[in-house]
Amino acid sequence: MAAADVRDMLDLPAEGQPRPHKKQKVVEKRPEGITRELYALLGERAPPIAINENKYKGRPKWMNKLRVRPWSMAPFTNNARSDGLVLNHWQRKHESARPPVPTPAPAPASEESQMEVDQPKEEEKEDAPKLPEQEYAFAKYNVKPRLPRRYTDDEYTRHLKSDDWSREETDYLVDIVTDYDIRWVLIADRYDYQPRMDTQPDANALVPAKHHRTMEQMKARYYTIAATMLSLEHPPSEMSEAEFDLHEKMLKFDPDRERDRKELAALQLNRTADEVREEAMLLEELKRITSNEQNFITERRELYSRLEVPISVGNTTMYQSSAGLSQLLQTLLQADKSKKRRSILGDGAIPSPAGQTPSTAGGLGRAETPVTQAANKKGSIALKEPNQMVRTLTTAEEAKYGVQHHERVSAGVQFRSDRAQRLTQAKSNVQTQKLANALSELEIPVRLFMPTERVCKDFEKLIQSVNMLLDARKVSEKVESEIRVLEAAKMERERKSREAAGISGPSADSEHPHVKKETEDGDTGVLDHSTAPQNTQGNGAAHQPRVQEGDGNHKRSASVLSGASDKSNKRQRR
Amino acid sequence: MNPSNPPQAAEYGGDEVSAIVLDPGYSTTRTGFAGEDAPKSLIPTYYGKYNADGQEKLVFGDDVFVTPRPGLSIYNPIGKDGIVEDWDMAERVWEHSFISRLTGTKAGNPFQNGLNDVSSDELPTEMEVESEEKPLSDSPLLMTEPGWNPAKAREKTIEIAMEKWDTPAFYLARSGVLAAFASGKASALVIDIGASNISVTPIHDGMILKRGVQHSPLGGDYISSQINAIFKANSPQPITITPHYLISSKTAVEAGQPPQVKYKTFPADKAPDASYRALLEERTLSEFKECVVQVWPGPTKLSAPSPTGVSNEDMARTTPGRPFEFPDGYNQIFGVDRFRAVESLFDAKAAIPDPDSPFPPPTPAQTIPELVKASLAGVDVDLRPHLLANVVVTGGSSLLYGFTDRLNHELMQMFPGPRVRVTAPGNTSERRFGSWIGGSILASLGTFHQMWISKKEYEEHGPNIVEKRCK
Repeated sequence: MAAADVRDMLDLPAEGQPRPHKKQKVVEKRPEGITRELYALLGERAPPIAINENKYKGRPKWMNKLRVRPWSMAPFTNNARSDGLVLNHWQRKHESARPPVPTPAPAPASEESQMEVDQPKEEEKEDAPKLPEQEYAFAKYNVKPRLPRRYTDDEYTRHLKSDDWSREETDYLVDIVTDYDIRWVLIADRYDYQPRMDTQPDANALVPAKHHRTMEQMKARYYTIAATMLSLEHPPSEMSEAEFDLHEKMLKFDPDRERDRKELAALQLNRTADEVREEAMLLEELKRITSNEQNFITERRELYSRLEVPISVGNTTMYQSSAGLSQLLQTLLQADKSKKRRSILGDGAIPSPAGQTPSTAGGLGRAETPVTQAANKKGSIALKEPNQMVRTLTTAEEAKYGVQHHERVSAGVQFRSDRAQRLTQAKSNVQTQKLANALSELEIPVRLFMPTERVCKDFEKLIQSVNMLLDARKVSEKVESEIRVLEAAKMERERKSREAAGISGPSADSEHPHVKKETEDGDTGVLDHSTAPQNTQGNGAAHQPRVQEGDGNHKRSASVLSGASDKSNKRQRR
Repeated sequence: MNPSNPPQAAEYGGDEVSAIVLDPGYSTTRTGFAGEDAPKSLIPTYYGKYNADGQEKLVFGDDVFVTPRPGLSIYNPIGKDGIVEDWDMAERVWEHSFISRLTGTKAGNPFQNGLNDVSSDELPTEMEVESEEKPLSDSPLLMTEPGWNPAKAREKTIEIAMEKWDTPAFYLARSGVLAAFASGKASALVIDIGASNISVTPIHDGMILKRGVQHSPLGGDYISSQINAIFKANSPQPITITPHYLISSKTAVEAGQPPQVKYKTFPADKAPDASYRALLEERTLSEFKECVVQVWPGPTKLSAPSPTGVSNEDMARTTPGRPFEFPDGYNQIFGVDRFRAVESLFDAKAAIPDPDSPFPPPTPAQTIPELVKASLAGVDVDLRPHLLANVVVTGGSSLLYGFTDRLNHELMQMFPGPRVRVTAPGNTSERRFGSWIGGSILASLGTFHQMWISKKEYEEHGPNIVEKRCK
């Protein structure tokens, strides 16, 4: 017993709820040519490759038992024609008695098909008179545009007379427009009006002066006629909207303007390759400019929106009390108000909320935090003119609060001590080492304990002067070594000349060239000018190493300037 | 789709009425049933005439090529400009084109033609006598014509179709329009490169624009004359074409060597006419065109220096040549000459001068680019860009290697502004039979059947009706 029957018996509404769909098991169909056992081994998932190839399926077998539905060559007429031409085409033979889909009934079908072959003529005769009654399927495509009514003689003389167009030519125009279904391109192409000779009695010329009509002239004339006829049929006040539009359009047709447009179009068509290239380039440029502008606008908007956002103050402790919170509310309200006002007054007149926050915060004595300093700075940028709400500080106050004015503010947070630290790092390791040596000799720690503004400035100065000194020493050493070399050479020469002269023996001199050099330092006139600046710059520096030179290795000397001697030692060792 | 169900008529708009489409050309005549994709019957328009037993006999179809009968002379009923000159013979040739393959000499119902009859006494005897002479009495006929066909020729055509062939319905369509239809376009600029003519036909909404129709005689036959000029001036020795029927035996020779061949000789009274030899030479030449001749691909003319500074001709020389073997065994590799043969289609100055040629040297206005320019100048300016975007190339001679590329370059150079798009079917038969295929499509459309000129209308209005109906 089916559920429907039970419902029926119990007078329940049929199918109160849609029955839940049976879960359809997706069973992969076993492909042909593979045994069941083997297919079972493959498991649930079918292999990703097709095991069997696609074959032409053909007709299903049961179809072969069906009777072939007959077709016949049947005559037909076309309603779109006026002459009743009868053509023949193949048509499904009309089977009114039989169901549309024949049932598979093999035995009677074969009988019937035999019958058909036997008596074809009779059936054709039966069909033939029926078919022409049917509407020909393609006759409905025979459509014509709706044209206004043709004018009568009276209407022509009253409304449509024209100096340019004779009645005959107007008739010809309207005929050809009807013939070609208002396709103006074709009309203008085929327009070939020959004025009759009898209308021009004095036409002696063999070729009558042919009037070449342009498409615009034809259009203008035809539109005038059509518009006039339309308004005669319905006065403009009674026209439907579509009709009125059409009427307006036709009345407003301006042949001169149309001609100008076509001339322009021809110019545009006949551009040279260079012009085309130039145009393409200009278009490209235009595209670039507009996209750039768009970019610029979005970037600027982004920038503005960023300026409007109040700087987040890292420290939230002040908002943890109720007083702090009310303060915040106040600030926000004020910001909101000023924003509204600004939108009315325009940009720049009112400080941005970012500019206000520090001023109120300054009142709470939090001005020293670098963040508010930066905010203050930004506020002052946003403000063109000093505002009443921002206090101008005196220099003393500035010093007190640590307010600074930078020429350029680089992005990000910087520590002053870092900057000082960076100064002690020279380009080369050796130089850095020397700086460190100098600082330790002066008992100044490399990392400043109290890197206040002023301390940092002084530190900077110090480092600068140390650097300068180190440079000076380098120069002096260089010059000294040169002198030494030259003197050695000179001594050698003298020795040789002495030996040549027979005087022998100043071997001690050659063994202690440095001592010799020191003694002769002052009186070598040639080198005077090079030593002079060295003396002025590093007065003591020049003498000190000489004292220590003899001692040899004391690389880790505490002396500030012992580095120089190190150098000279090294050179000697080399 | 189930093959046992008929397609919905509205789906494809087809309705076959077993119309016959006849596309007569200068070199071949194509005929077939509408709705098929290629003409069933393709015969040469040339026909042969000879005397046998004191009677004048005619040869039609492919038979003209086969037997060199004594005194066989070849004629063509169509004049050089594509307009029929000899109407009687044109009618015979056209009739042969459909009788030989399509309708048979006597069209009859298979129930009545005697082959399927069981008992002979049931046959009505008058049936056999009746449908004897009029070959087309149950097939509507669609014929094509060139765009410049004069009104007289059109009237003559419908007269033949109606009175001599007794067709129930007739239509005369422009071959350009049909070629555009074959490409699926209702508006196009059709460039048809035929045997005797090249023509440019602007088409709008399935109708030609008469003021834009241009044609010039630089067709396939002109190219043949250019090739002949090249053969005459060939460098080791001038080449003469000896058709196959004059050759008895030959042995293979090296390239450029004189042929080793034994000729067949005909006594003077048995020999065919010179026109027969010319026809067969033309066959060899068309083979030469198919295998060797190439259009310089551009973008500049063959004589112009290329952008790299080397002249295009030198560039062409560096490309490998193409060999060709003539019927007598002579063979040669053709280098730059194969480009020069067709260059004058694009550049009138490049024509190879030949005093013996039947073609006068071409004028610049006869070249394809100039024809296109003149054609566009004849149509409305609003239409020109649209036409340039729908250029359809058709005709057998347009199959020359590289033709469409060059045409594309030439058009783009001439009209740098608007978009130029050349449509050329890649399929050889679609290119050769473009206008026939268009006719096949048109005549099997259900909507077209209202446009036929019926016999009744013809009888009412006379042959002049063709001017009114086939616009």
